[in-house]
Amino acid sequence: MIFNTPLFFAFFIVFLLFYGFVFLQRRPRVYLILVASLVFYGAWNYAFIPLLVGSAVVDYFLAQGIAAAPAGRRRKILLGISIAVNLGILAVFKYADFAIGSVADLLRLLGYEPSLSSLELILPVGISFYTFQSMSYTIDVYRGDMQPRRGLVEFTAALAFFPQLVAGPILRARQILPQFHRLPLPTWTNAKYGFLLITVGLMKKTVADLLAGPVATAFDSSGPVSLMESWTGVLAFAGQIYGDFSGYSDMAIGLALLLGFQIPLNFRLPYFALSPVDFWRRWHISLSSWLRDYLYIPLGGNRGGNRYRNIFITMLLGGLWHGAAWTFVAWGAFHGALIGATHKLSELRLFAPFVQSRSLWMRLFKWAFTFYLILIGWVLFRAASLEGAWQMLVTLHSIGAALPSPSQGAALVFGLVAAALLAMHLMDYGVLEYGERLAQKPWGFWPALVTVQALCLMIGEPSSEFIYFQF
Amino acid sequence: MNLSTSSSERALFARIVLVILLGMGAALGLVRLFHTGTGITADAFLGRVLQAKAALPRITAEPQELVMFFGSSRVEAGFSPRQFDREMAARGLPVKSFNFGFGGLNPLFQDTLSRRIREQFERDERRLKIALIEFNPFQATVTRRNRAREAEETMQAILGTPQEFFPVLIRDPERGVRLFNIRYLRGGISAEAFTSFVAAGLAPPRPRTGIPEDEAAKARRRELNRILDQRFQEDYPDYRAKQWHYGWQGGGTIAEERSAETLALFDEFYATLRTEHKLDDDRLHRINTADIIELNFDPELVEAFIRIVKNFQAISDRVEVLMLPKNSRWIQNTPEATERLAAAVARIEEETGLRLRNDRELPAITPEMFVDTTHLARYTGGVAYTRHLVEELAPPEMEAAID
Repeated sequence: MIFNTPLFFAFFIVFLLFYGFVFLQRRPRVYLILVASLVFYGAWNYAFIPLLVGSAVVDYFLAQGIAAAPAGRRRKILLGISIAVNLGILAVFKYADFAIGSVADLLRLLGYEPSLSSLELILPVGISFYTFQSMSYTIDVYRGDMQPRRGLVEFTAALAFFPQLVAGPILRARQILPQFHRLPLPTWTNAKYGFLLITVGLMKKTVADLLAGPVATAFDSSGPVSLMESWTGVLAFAGQIYGDFSGYSDMAIGLALLLGFQIPLNFRLPYFALSPVDFWRRWHISLSSWLRDYLYIPLGGNRGGNRYRNIFITMLLGGLWHGAAWTFVAWGAFHGALIGATHKLSELRLFAPFVQSRSLWMRLFKWAFTFYLILIGWVLFRAASLEGAWQMLVTLHSIGAALPSPSQGAALVFGLVAAALLAMHLMDYGVLEYGERLAQKPWGFWPALVTVQALCLMIGEPSSEFIYFQF
Repeated sequence: MNLSTSSSERALFARIVLVILLGMGAALGLVRLFHTGTGITADAFLGRVLQAKAALPRITAEPQELVMFFGSSRVEAGFSPRQFDREMAARGLPVKSFNFGFGGLNPLFQDTLSRRIREQFERDERRLKIALIEFNPFQATVTRRNRAREAEETMQAILGTPQEFFPVLIRDPERGVRLFNIRYLRGGISAEAFTSFVAAGLAPPRPRTGIPEDEAAKARRRELNRILDQRFQEDYPDYRAKQWHYGWQGGGTIAEERSAETLALFDEFYATLRTEHKLDDDRLHRINTADIIELNFDPELVEAFIRIVKNFQAISDRVEVLMLPKNSRWIQNTPEATERLAAAVARIEEETGLRLRNDRELPAITPEMFVDTTHLARYTGGVAYTRHLVEELAPPEMEAAID
């Protein structure tokens, strides 16, 4: 079930009616959230509900066991089981075929003819999100960062909470479980902000869907593509992935606010970043902070002289988290190298004036160079293969080479794509800076929301799923 | 811990629900208003089809034996019901025929329309004496389908019925709700259809002919177009040519009703349409939009066509499946395409038990009888092909069917 569909609209209205008028006690409401979340998930594929519930049950009891066990080996074993189960689920459903295919390719390179057959399992939607979320609970309990919660239903409902189940943001147990315990009521101010976020998210998703056309022209064309259309496609993909994912996150946060739940922001104007490090502080914040807390720091973080290695491993695995393909690994490695290089350069005295400069021109240069690097990264992310990515990168830098001339209207499409990307960021800036103030002006606020909704309904009834569902 | 169940809490949820419903209602209202204001309505997409569908009860109430020719815009241009009826009557075989040829459809949409026709005939306990069904090869290609994907749900929502939507709702709730939404809340226009309609100008340009335009022919064509429009308005003051007109049985005007002078102007007009530039450009357009040379069929469209035939078999005494004449000077299929076409035809024949009439290379129809690479000219090709149908079908097969 996708947020911006009439089916979800009907589902949410029915849910709200039960939540607000029928189930008035805390416990029934938690049960209702759980049932609704499973229905929401089951609308995609009921067969994987046991996997979701099973993951919750295993981590719930393991966390209890960890908390009850004395410090030492037993706690480590229980944590190890939790990590093994969660990563095992991911390994089987997400990475098995990738591993089999890679081994087969390697054996072929070595001159063998392997007869390895792939498992061809369906990738359960949202698996990367809920396994990370569930795993963070047992790790937090193990570290003593939080006490285990009593109440399996409460824990399962929190893990399966439908606004953020299939595409995040990835919530920590300590962020969401206490909210399920006290089950907050919405306030009208929060609800209005929720409506604003839902509308902005819907708009961004609509724009993202519209950008799919230029992306396909650049990346899926069977023949060579002009320089302008190639750049347009890469720029459009930057907009598509941002609009799609941040749009979903905004809607998730907005929907949660309508129920009284607070979910932290997942994006903060990422394409305004002034360095790759800055980009990762603004892009998919819940994942980058998860990777920092549960991977980078356990690897040693900045300590022990292994900082660059740890950054690289973290980003490499972060890339792999996005998908089981070498293109994602390459994307992760590319960003790992960029972040490492940024840290290294900022430590050099030679670059200190550049790094510390606050001048407009220097900031503009830093922004442009960072944005260029991000775009190069998106080529790796979007291409169907490493070879395809390389070809695209060559095309993007083939000024004066014998490429086809751009189609009629290509310049207009480029302009529209750039405008769409900028508009999404300006919209986000407006929400961050003026959202709450706007929500206090009902005569401007509601007509604006209705107009944007109408525009989205007019041009953006989706048939395409959110890109991040596949991760 | 129990929550307080105060009235303020309920009031807050009531307010949230109300805002969602009112907001969505207002947004939908704006959408409908905009659709109406800009003329992007179900009528704009399917006006003739809807008019024909609305005429079905009147058709089934006709006292005469009924004949229907069902197909694409090639049928619309190439079959004249009134000429057909007159020539049949002259042979002592009175029938009332109807032209159900519509442009812009593919067999998926036609299948839905054929179900509506079948339902109406079954409801009124009427039968067609003869159903003529066009199999238009380039209408069933993958390319053709891909060109209309964004309109698929709009077409299905407009032509479908709630009874058809409910099983979809069970099988695929997302799509089922969308169909209901498009049909009943959005006035038949899906967002995809709307977007593709307004963004048509941004589509990558198709390949164009390198043959230069004959400027004199172009100027004369414009002039003739203006004169013929004027003549049309004088001859038929109450009729708009784009409508499915009951009086004309869905077909167009017939040569007998036009003056010799007008017909001469039409001959000249057709000649200006048949310049090398125009025809080559049209050929490229058909290749681009319908894969007319290679004919890579979409199996689902062929399947849908078979269902169309079966729908007509259920309500007809006799069903004829035909392939209309093609402009062979401009459209020549590759050997592979010919093989693919033969396979598709064999499949249709096997599934329906009918023998398909192949009129693609009809000697009576010459390239000069077309207005472009695919459509017959109304007053030349259309007349000749309608006459051919009378001659082919009336003796002895039609007599047998009518008797």
